[in-house]
This record gives sequence, C-alpha cells and structure tokens, in this order.
Amino acid sequence: MKNKIKYPIILYIALLFLISSVKGICQNNVSEINVLTLENRLMFGNYLYKEHDYLRAINEFHDYLRFENNDTIRFKAADCFHKMGRLDEAADNYKGLFFNSTLMSEARLAYIKSKFDERQFASFRNLVVQKTNFAEKYTHEIFRLKNITYLLDNTFLPERNEFIESFPQNYRTDIENFYNRKLHPEYKSPVYASILSAIIPGAGKIYTGNIGDGITSLLFTGVLSYLSYTNFDNDHKTRAWVFTGLAGYFYAGNIYGSAASAHIYNADVNFTYKSDLEQFLNSVNYFLPEFGFLK
Amino acid sequence: MKRILILILLCNVGLYAQTDWERWEAKEVSYQSNAAENHEHEYVSGGSGFILSALKGTYSFFISDLDGDNCPFSPTCSGFFIQSVQKTNIITGALMFADRFVRDSNLFKSRNQYKLVIHNHLYDPVENYLLKTESVKFNFEK
Repeated sequence: MKNKIKYPIILYIALLFLISSVKGICQNNVSEINVLTLENRLMFGNYLYKEHDYLRAINEFHDYLRFENNDTIRFKAADCFHKMGRLDEAADNYKGLFFNSTLMSEARLAYIKSKFDERQFASFRNLVVQKTNFAEKYTHEIFRLKNITYLLDNTFLPERNEFIESFPQNYRTDIENFYNRKLHPEYKSPVYASILSAIIPGAGKIYTGNIGDGITSLLFTGVLSYLSYTNFDNDHKTRAWVFTGLAGYFYAGNIYGSAASAHIYNADVNFTYKSDLEQFLNSVNYFLPEFGFLK
Repeated sequence: MKRILILILLCNVGLYAQTDWERWEAKEVSYQSNAAENHEHEYVSGGSGFILSALKGTYSFFISDLDGDNCPFSPTCSGFFIQSVQKTNIITGALMFADRFVRDSNLFKSRNQYKLVIHNHLYDPVENYLLKTESVKFNFEK
C-alpha cells in the first residue's frame, strides 16, 4: 500500500525536475542568442531594401555603419533617401563617398541624378557644364541626362542630329519621335477655334474634338435664332428681343467655350507628351547603368 | 377646356417627376477622395457679389434643393457660375456659364473628356476655362 502511494510521488517529483531543467536550458539558450548582431542588422537592412521599405532600411544601415565602414552600405543608405524623394539628404549622403571610396564615380553619378530629380533643369545644366562633382567615367551618361532635360522643360531644343546621336542606337527612333512631338506639338489654335465658332456656332468645338458639344451649341444657337426670327416676323417684339438676347448670349458663350476647349486640348497634348516621355525614360532607367551592388 | 389643360399639366408633372427611390436606395460605400465644392467660393463679396449670392440662394432654395443633386458636374453649374465670376469678372463669368450650360445640355451625352470624381460627378473646374493652358487641371487637387 505504501509503495502504491510512493511511486506516483516519486514519478511526479522526477517529472517536475525534468521539466524545470529543460525550461532552464531553453531560457539559457535564448538569452545567449543575440539577434541584433551587425550581420543580422545588415541582412535585415538588405531585406528591407529589396522590399522597398526604404525608411526602415535606412535605420538598419545607419546602425550597421556606426560600427562598420562599408561604402556599399553608405551608397545604399543614400539610395534609400533618393528613392524616397528626400533628395537633399540623398545628395549629402552621396557626397560622403566622393573621395577615397571605391564607389566614387558611381556616387558622383547618383549625386548628379539626384540633382536631375530636383527638376530645376536650368541649374542642373549649369552644374553639368561647370562639371561640378563630375564623374569622368560616366561623362556620356551625364551629358545624356543634360540632353533629356531639353525634352522635359520649356526651353529650346538643341540641333537635331547632335541631340539624337547622344542616345544609344536602338533608342534613337523613340527619342526622335519625342523630339518631333516637342518641336511640333499637335496643338489646336484657340483663335482658329473661336473664328470657326463665330462663323458656324459649334464648329470650333468640333475642331477640338468635342463633336457632341459642338452640335449641341449649333442647335442651341440655331433654335434660339429661329425663334427670334419668327417672333420678329410675326411682330411679337418683346419675345423676339428675349430670344435674340438669349441667342446672342449663347453665341458669345460658344465662341468663348471654343477657345477654352482648344486650351484644354493643348493642355492634354502637353500632359500626354510628358507622361509618355516619363514612362519611356523610367523604362530605360534614364539611360543610366544599373549597379550590381545594389541588387 | 381649362380642366383638360390642368389635367394634362398634372399628368406631365407626374411623368417628369424625379424617381426618388433610385436615388435613395442602399449604395456601396465609396472611399474615393471627396471633390465636394469649395463653399467658401460660393458667396462673393461686394455689390455684384451680393446680387449673385442672393440669386444663388434663391435658386438653391426654390429649385436646386427641391430638385435634388442632379447636376452631373463638380462643381455644379450654379457653383461654377459663382466661382467663374469670382475668378474673372461678371461678363467672362457669364460667358463661361453659357458654355457650361450648353455642355451640361449635351444631347449626345458624350462626356469622355471629363474625369469622374465621387458620386460619379464629372470633374470640370473653373480653372480649365480661364483661357490659360497652364491652369488646366485634369485631376482633383486640393
């Protein structure tokens, strides 16, 4: 009887001992593992960078750089700022790699690109011409960027052949197409649209592609003019003058609207040109090399 | 004869009355950004402003509020008129309104040139009709 009570108690104590010892070992192992090592920080930073989580990647890179000097990571941190649109901080970080660095030329090129992304094209062209912080290794790429600015802002275009030849052979047709679109945009003249609408109400709107609005204008003015004519004809002077006033009002409004319609058409031409150009330039990475160390 | 005329008139009112059950039925919640009219532009200061605001108030009270939210555009035609007068002058504003009125009455309902904003309203801001290519806006911006 005594043994029957004894064994379960011994078993229970033995189990307690076993469990507590296993737990103790586990805790010790966990406390011994330090997840915040430099290598882990770097790995996590690179993972965040690949996932385009640039804000958090910068934190990891900066923590890593407090203990280790690594030009690639410095470049990556600058690139994070660049990709987030924090261009001043990106430029400052690139500058840190301008001297005594293996990535000196790449950093200078990326710095120039960050200046390009500020979209102050006149000052950007001055920067390139004065060769401030210039990367000799990437001279062609930088001058190509300078040429791209002519397509993007409202200044004159350089001489055609010289301009197009600065781009790679297989993209010259596309570039020439954009050059032509910039040089001869398919605008509609607001004056011409107004004159057309003055001759035939609604014709100016049809000229700018708004056919439905044009026909409606013609009907509005036509019906009101007809009503004023018949009322004058039947000697209903008051009504006739009311309809004449309305016809004149909508006639004038239609001329104004045709000019406005041409302006909207032209704004759409500009908008389409810019979005097409940006899409093309992004697809070819602005003709800049893609750096393997960033992958 | 009078009775027949009154009967026809009443029938017409019944036929053209707004079908409210379509407007007030349950709808999907939209999380699109709101392109509600900027009400601060709807009232203009000064002498002509007082007349315009009075006109707008009368129109809103007697017609617009009773008729419901029927203008397909954003801003609405009345709001467009007030804003256009405020941004230009009474003559140009009136011409802009005439043009808007005709576009609103487009018989063919060809309205592909407008962007859709909340409640499927057509985005047609006053800035697009100031005769300046640079001021044209294609998307709603605050």
